Amino acid sequence: MAIEVLIFYLLAGVAIAAAAGVVLARNPVHSAVSLVLSFVNVAAIYVMLRAEFLAVAQVIVYTGAIIVLVLFVLMLVQQQDLPEFHGGRPLRRAVGFLLGLVLLAEVAAAILTRSLRGAPGSWPPEAVAAVGGNIQAIGRELYSVYMLPIQATALLLLAATVGALFLARPELIEERLAVARRLFTISLAHPRGVDPLQPVAELPGPHDNERKPAGGDRVLVMARNAEEFTEQPAWGEIRR
Amino acid sequence: MSELTTAHFLFLSAALFIIGMVGVLTRRNVLIIFMCVELMLNAVNVSFIGFAWEQNALTGQIFALFVIAVAAAEAVIGLGIVMALSRRLDTVDIDEVRQLRE
Repeated sequence: MAIEVLIFYLLAGVAIAAAAGVVLARNPVHSAVSLVLSFVNVAAIYVMLRAEFLAVAQVIVYTGAIIVLVLFVLMLVQQQDLPEFHGGRPLRRAVGFLLGLVLLAEVAAAILTRSLRGAPGSWPPEAVAAVGGNIQAIGRELYSVYMLPIQATALLLLAATVGALFLARPELIEERLAVARRLFTISLAHPRGVDPLQPVAELPGPHDNERKPAGGDRVLVMARNAEEFTEQPAWGEIRR
Repeated sequence: MSELTTAHFLFLSAALFIIGMVGVLTRRNVLIIFMCVELMLNAVNVSFIGFAWEQNALTGQIFALFVIAVAAAEAVIGLGIVMALSRRLDTVDIDEVRQLRE
């Protein structure tokens, strides 16, 4: 048995065991650490498959960025002791494992009876070595044939950034009210205010008892909180 | 089985994918489900790169690269949703999230 087969079995075994650890671990932090182990082993397998650039990208993007993000979120969200794997939902667990076994049998049958082979590609190892290596070959292919997809990917990442900003805006009612107070409290004598941003257009006019004289003949509307202004919940908030 | 074939890598990919799928189906913590989805994406990458290795082509590697980029975007959005969920409902248990259902 060749040495590289042994190395493959070692790496694959650790990768699969770590992946099982992700599913079986009770503590989500242990899951995340298992996931790192699995990703690093898979990256080593990429090196065996002559995909050096992807191995590096895998380590940087998955273990460097995504896992760090996951761990940050783990620290931020409230942790609960869920009863899973300790008594809860036995039916779901049984169905999950059963479906996994069925899919494994199907995929094994598909792999073992596989006969369709496409035409060999245009990048044998000699051609890759001739242009300088894996990264050079990928760069040549990526920025010539795949020009449009890579620009679409750039657009996707931009949209993801905007979406993340949208999702991370203040969600607590107190924070929202603070924001709403900052936005809506400055409305002068005119009941609809003079805010050039015009969000006050939807607010009803204040009652007389809410008007307090503020310096001279101008009337500054004062409110202790945004709910005194409006029956509309701030920013579409659903009241509980 | 004295040398590496594509089937080795395909079986590895299948095993990782199915472990991830079982995790998605059985776990209830949103974050663990998220990690299992990442595991499945990674398993698909192993398949792509294995086929690229077999065929002496780069297309599979480039596709895997796009999968990694999409996974990064998905991670950002998914974790943002988890954050919004835990702020709004004070839970990461997916069984508690039924606002779209009821």
